[in-house]
Amino acid sequence: MSIVDLTSMGKSQTELRKEINGQLSKLQDEISDYCFQCAKCTAGCEAHKLLELEPHKMVALLKRGLIDEMVNSDIIWTCMSCFKCRERCPQRVAPVEILFALKNMAVVSGKQIPGKYTAMLQSILSIGLIQDVQEVTTRDNKTMKRDELGLPSLSKPCDPAKFQVGLTKIAVEKV
Amino acid sequence: MKKKYALYPGCLMPTEQYAYELSIRESLPLLDIELVDIDGFSCCGEPMKSVNRLLTLYLSARNLALAEKHKLDLFIPCAMCHLALSECRHILGNNPEMKKRINGMLASEELTYKGTGEIVHTVDLLHDLVGVETIKQRVKKPMKGIKLATHYGCHLIRPTEIGRPVDSEHPMKMEAILEALEAETVDYPEKLDCCGGILQINLPESALTKTGQKLKAVQEHGFDGFVDVCPWCHKMFDSRQSKAGETVAAKLDVPVFYLTQLLGLALGVKKEKLGLELNLSPVDKLEFG
Ligand code: SF4
Ligand code: SF4
Repeated sequence: MSIVDLTSMGKSQTELRKEINGQLSKLQDEISDYCFQCAKCTAGCEAHKLLELEPHKMVALLKRGLIDEMVNSDIIWTCMSCFKCRERCPQRVAPVEILFALKNMAVVSGKQIPGKYTAMLQSILSIGLIQDVQEVTTRDNKTMKRDELGLPSLSKPCDPAKFQVGLTKIAVEKV
Repeated sequence: MKKKYALYPGCLMPTEQYAYELSIRESLPLLDIELVDIDGFSCCGEPMKSVNRLLTLYLSARNLALAEKHKLDLFIPCAMCHLALSECRHILGNNPEMKKRINGMLASEELTYKGTGEIVHTVDLLHDLVGVETIKQRVKKPMKGIKLATHYGCHLIRPTEIGRPVDSEHPMKMEAILEALEAETVDYPEKLDCCGGILQINLPESALTKTGQKLKAVQEHGFDGFVDVCPWCHKMFDSRQSKAGETVAAKLDVPVFYLTQLLGLALGVKKEKLGLELNLSPVDKLEFG
């Protein structure tokens, strides 16, 4: 099991891509039609002012089938997943879920995954958690570790091999 | 009434946000909550939703199934984990086909998700299950004259559709808990603003700007302290406060606490046991009896 299985264009990814494609077509055909472009989503969007994300425009682009354009754009990675757009949409369109599907599509199409996502994924594959135990600093600059604070040992998958077998199925499982 | 939960630690709390875990383990037993540690938990999957939503669903179901195997309900202190596991319950509860598919994958670890267990977060555990009356009765050191701002975290309050422990537009349960400790709470316009935490993964500068903007407002409103209930939010507001200040050209000095740290103090737990030395924001500004 490697990170490639979950993220690249490898053969095992064909099914996964088909599935995400299916999700996007469904969103395009059934969901984007409900949107009447009131822009209530964009009005409350946490990423709007700072990073110019306009969720209502993403829905409009989806409706017109401009999926590749969005998948290739950096803007989909500016969403903070605050879920305000899903909460407040009068038509239950949930732009945030469209953005998740688009990002998943970008990943499965072999696009470069931004930031620390790859490292976090790698860590999950090896120890089940996004990171291992870290040393922390106190306000007066002493370093401390989990066990030094009297906390019990970290809970993580007991049998990493079996845990990985489960994860592998995500990349190859048929719908 | 004594109640028992498996503590689901997630990733961030047990690997670096130790103050939350310490204060949970110290203060909740004083309210008759018994916490059980289970080996074998993994990431909830929520931070990976942008990469692969099926992975999120799978990881969440895996953790729920593990708790079911031990016949225990789950206490989930992280807002992000709580969202992931809530959504998993919602999706698998409404989609038998997906449930079957996930269970097929879980078989490799001899796990099955049935959907029999309950989940709680810190806020509903304290407010709904323990209850503010009980908390009031057990307070030994009331926090008189301290004015606090609350931060719930986006993942705890939305989306209502999947079931959240607090109201999405007017959450007040933290206020009720803090008032039971005799602290003062005041609403402020930026209360529902995001910490930016998720962007720490790929756009760290922007993430810090979000944090800085909110804290700057809190500082200008004249609060004595800021209270949160999620390790991702706390990492931004407390651990990264001075950096966040740089992004908004402000010298920030807002004391930031986990709710359970204040709870512990009010219940009479010694300061040293609540991980207060791990808060990097100036928590010493507040004097606690
Ligand atoms: S709030 Fe809903 S209906 Fe209005 S523009 Fe956004 S997605 Fe469309
Ligand atoms: S979830 Fe993303 S798109 Fe929706 S309002 Fe929040 S930041 Fe904007």
